[in-house]
Amino acid sequence: MTLARRRQFAGAVFALPAILLVLGFIVVPIGQAVYYSMTQWDGITASWIGPSTWNQAFHNPTLWTALRNNALLLLSVPFALGLPLAIAVLLHQRVAGWRIFRSIYFLPTAISWVVLGLVAQRFFAYQGTLNSLIHFFGFSATNTNMLGYESTALSALGITFIFTMIGTNTMLFLTGLATLDTSLEEAARIDGAGRWRIFRSITLPHLRRFIQLAFVMTVIALFSALFSLIFVMTGGGPGYATTTMEFLIYQTGFNQGDFGTAALYGLILFVLTAIVGVVQLRLIGSDE
Amino acid sequence: MTTPLLDPSESPVIAPVRRRRRLKSGRVTLFVVMVGVAVVMLYPFWVMIYNSLMTEAQFLAGKGFSLGSWSALTSVIPVGQEVLSSTIICSASIVIILLIGLPAGFAFSKLRFRLSTVVFLVIVSAMMVPLQAILMPEFVNVTKLGLTGGYAGAVLVYAALGTPFSVFLFTTYFRGVPDELIEAGIVDGLGYFGVLWRLVVPIAVPAIATVTVLQFIQIWDDLLVGLLFIQNTSERPITVGLAVLSAGRTTSIPQLMAGSIISALPAMVVYLGFQRYLVKGLTMGIDR
Repeated sequence: MTLARRRQFAGAVFALPAILLVLGFIVVPIGQAVYYSMTQWDGITASWIGPSTWNQAFHNPTLWTALRNNALLLLSVPFALGLPLAIAVLLHQRVAGWRIFRSIYFLPTAISWVVLGLVAQRFFAYQGTLNSLIHFFGFSATNTNMLGYESTALSALGITFIFTMIGTNTMLFLTGLATLDTSLEEAARIDGAGRWRIFRSITLPHLRRFIQLAFVMTVIALFSALFSLIFVMTGGGPGYATTTMEFLIYQTGFNQGDFGTAALYGLILFVLTAIVGVVQLRLIGSDE
Repeated sequence: MTTPLLDPSESPVIAPVRRRRRLKSGRVTLFVVMVGVAVVMLYPFWVMIYNSLMTEAQFLAGKGFSLGSWSALTSVIPVGQEVLSSTIICSASIVIILLIGLPAGFAFSKLRFRLSTVVFLVIVSAMMVPLQAILMPEFVNVTKLGLTGGYAGAVLVYAALGTPFSVFLFTTYFRGVPDELIEAGIVDGLGYFGVLWRLVVPIAVPAIATVTVLQFIQIWDDLLVGLLFIQNTSERPITVGLAVLSAGRTTSIPQLMAGSIISALPAMVVYLGFQRYLVKGLTMGIDR
């Protein structure tokens, strides 16, 4: 073998375990899901039905409820980006003790969303912190129970989601701000630009890529990381008020034993995240 | 000069002083705002600690403190067993992710073989596939292989989900390694495996740390995989233990909160100790 050949061979051998693992546990199951989505499947035996299962699935109002819940939760994304952006700008001013503040702000990011869900439950509970706060501000007759009602449960979930994203996104933006050339801001200030003007014309454009990345990560988390929160806080209820696509997949498969339909829902989620994924890959690839 | 205030040459000194005073009051406001944000971000910890320091009866009555929930904790939640399970699952998964990702990253960056670009793209794209999208086929496959009886199923699923990111990170990292280093190693007769082990791994320590920290927090905090891919309750990781317990409505909230603290501690320690590696990992791909 020539040297070039040997190098290629070594490369293929080194890459093989990764290729096999990803093929076996991610790529092949996508193919299987396509097949099983057109069957009646209980996890043991599958009987072929055909593409009509897709037609049927889209007539199921629960699917539309879940999709609508996902769409509504997207309304939390501006907050999940805006608040961290504001916090990062505050941290970037480097007031006394900013390093300690930074650590404190990031700390909840380390905690499992299972635990944060449990805490959120205490916050929204009838005898929880939210009602205590409302009473403290003088509205002693007002009592909320956001997780208990179909009209408010999704908002409570959205608020919790915003809280859970603050640490990661603040970290991203702070990293972005650290790469900002301060002499640029200084020059603008000397030229008489106000703070808001500097933020809009210098800081924001500089952070563009970081904001894009945070946006993609937040949307992906919204589609595929809420399971822990929902499982702990609401179990998808009341009714289907907090059932998102990912939770619907779990419920359909493991509570109703309808593996075929669950596989189909999985593919819908796959398409949704793939759209976001294409955006992500373009972000990463646009440098090369 | 006896009247320095009238000396024009002194005015530049006065101006900054005035400016600084205005800044100072601004800084105080800023500091207060930051303390406010800190209170919000520390809220989960306060809820956990405060509620865990009560017995069930004290919690229901809303007054009184004791260590009762802590001393009786192990009889309700097998914390020791669950932390051990979490530790085993975490470390086994991370070891596999590193053992598979490192050589693959080396191969994709330095030992490119036929179609390696395409294969690399497929693996990186797999990063965007959420587990929920392929949950049903994955669950059935792993169950049929008989891997849900111990830790093996969960470990393999975590390894497969973590591999695309680690391959991406190592590939990007190794692109910065000069080709001459590898050629020199080959000329010296180390062989490709020797080059990987003796030359590449030692310089990859920061990348290894980044993958380890990110995956540790991800896996330690996860619920879904542990919930579905581990059948024996005696092998449950702690997040699953907490989530399942909270779903049963009779659970004592103080004890749940005590368990939450125990689950949160390891991830927080890792987080505070290795913050900078996390930041590096998060901004990988736009921060080059």
